[in-house]
Amino acid sequence: MIAFSLFAAREVGFDPSTFWEVWSNPLWEKFWPIPWDWVTDGSNVMGPLIETFQIATISTILGCSLALPVSFAMSSLTTPNRPTYLVSRAVMNVVRAVPDLFWAKLMVTAVGIGAFAGSWALTIFSLAVMVKLFSETVDGADPGPLEAARAAGGRHTPSVRTGMLPTVFPDYVAHALYVFELNIRASIVLGLVGAGGIGRVIEAQRQFFRFDRILGMLVIIFVVVFMIEQASVALRKRLV
Amino acid sequence: MTATTQRPTPPRGARERRGALAVVLVVAMVWSLSGLEVTLDRLLGAPGDAWAILRQMVPPAFARVYERGAVGKVFESVYIAWIGTVIGAVLSLPLAFMAAHNVAPVWIRVPIRQFFNAIRAVPELILAVILIPITGLGPWAGTLAIGIHSIGTLGKWATESIESIDSGPIEAVESTGGRWVSSMRWAVFPQVMSTISSYWLFRFEINVRASAVLGMIGAGGVGSELVSHLVFRDFPAASAVLVFTIAVVLTIDTASAAVRRRIIRGGVGRPDEPSRSGEALADLTGIRL
Repeated sequence: MIAFSLFAAREVGFDPSTFWEVWSNPLWEKFWPIPWDWVTDGSNVMGPLIETFQIATISTILGCSLALPVSFAMSSLTTPNRPTYLVSRAVMNVVRAVPDLFWAKLMVTAVGIGAFAGSWALTIFSLAVMVKLFSETVDGADPGPLEAARAAGGRHTPSVRTGMLPTVFPDYVAHALYVFELNIRASIVLGLVGAGGIGRVIEAQRQFFRFDRILGMLVIIFVVVFMIEQASVALRKRLV
Repeated sequence: MTATTQRPTPPRGARERRGALAVVLVVAMVWSLSGLEVTLDRLLGAPGDAWAILRQMVPPAFARVYERGAVGKVFESVYIAWIGTVIGAVLSLPLAFMAAHNVAPVWIRVPIRQFFNAIRAVPELILAVILIPITGLGPWAGTLAIGIHSIGTLGKWATESIESIDSGPIEAVESTGGRWVSSMRWAVFPQVMSTISSYWLFRFEINVRASAVLGMIGAGGVGSELVSHLVFRDFPAASAVLVFTIAVVLTIDTASAAVRRRIIRGGVGRPDEPSRSGEALADLTGIRL
């Protein structure tokens, strides 16, 4: 393990002196002072930030809605049949192995630069995360009501609808809120690959070396993201 | 027997709550669609566009991409993730001991916790954006970004596992006259090390994905390959890169998950498994609730 670390360190150009040199870099002066009047001007930061949240919202809603049937197909308790179970698991594992920004770049190539591509990418990402979380919840749920519904002669879909869904629905909503938090974070960086939102502004300012503006943006972003997350966490605590 | 004729009443407010939820969802959808320049033909055209690209991606041009050294790039991502994890682990471990409320005094605990929180709030990509002009393009920028970000998460997890230990051994060391360092070394360390090392491995899995993404903005690794193929609309090559990445990510995930399970459970399956959804949540995202 130590040997592998040393080898990998050489490969990435490990250079401990940068830890000290970094602090004396003249570029740090470019971070200060923060141009507050530019940052607080609505069209510069708040507009793209709202676009970011719109991307996150729509992708969470779409992704989590799609995830509901797919998760039931992916749990051994509620799957309609064996092939559906295996195929949905295999496909979702591959989808999940692709990082979110790779999806974003693929979608930008497919449907063009902008928030539309970002929403598609995050929808796929939410779907992948949600089915993983929710199908595991279904796996661990109490199978009793479902068995009762089946024993009473219920067909597959109504049995799952009445025997399983009510048991796991609070978890579903809690997971969906959690996915929303993830999406908020992911949507901030989407713009770095051209998929819309606040990242687009960060990318543009980076090319002009306006790090003071980037720093100001980051402050605003984190205040807003922090508030949204706290609200979501509080809501989630009440649900489960 | 009048009680049997009385039907149970449904819980109060359930219908209203359901209605409110539906209204909230619809309003949220309309609001977000309004900002995304969505037109009907764009919406209907998107699956077609995606399908057109997907069709061009098959078959992947493995040989061509392999000759360009894409496999080496995938491994570069793995190295970045590994060294980033090592940096994060080495720096976060001592800090975690100073941040746990059962072993550290309040004046040092609070600033270190805030430090962890602040680091975790900044995504790796943003860190890399800031670091690239300072370190130059290349894997070292990505490694530093991942290392710094890992300090935040690893520190938080390690702190939490230190806080959940049994205090008996600490008292034992203190009663023999041991000092703070020796009680950490002989009472706390042996209790938490298995959990913490499994967190390190787990963070490594997350970092592999993160470092693949970092390449997209030029911080080393496989992301740059994917971007350059997609920019030139060379879809067979792009899909080959994707397949290489997926293969490596899945292999590392599976291997690392097996090792972690072994570290935590000592090689023997236990019947009383912890909550699976909680574990899955953590497996996937690196965020432990």
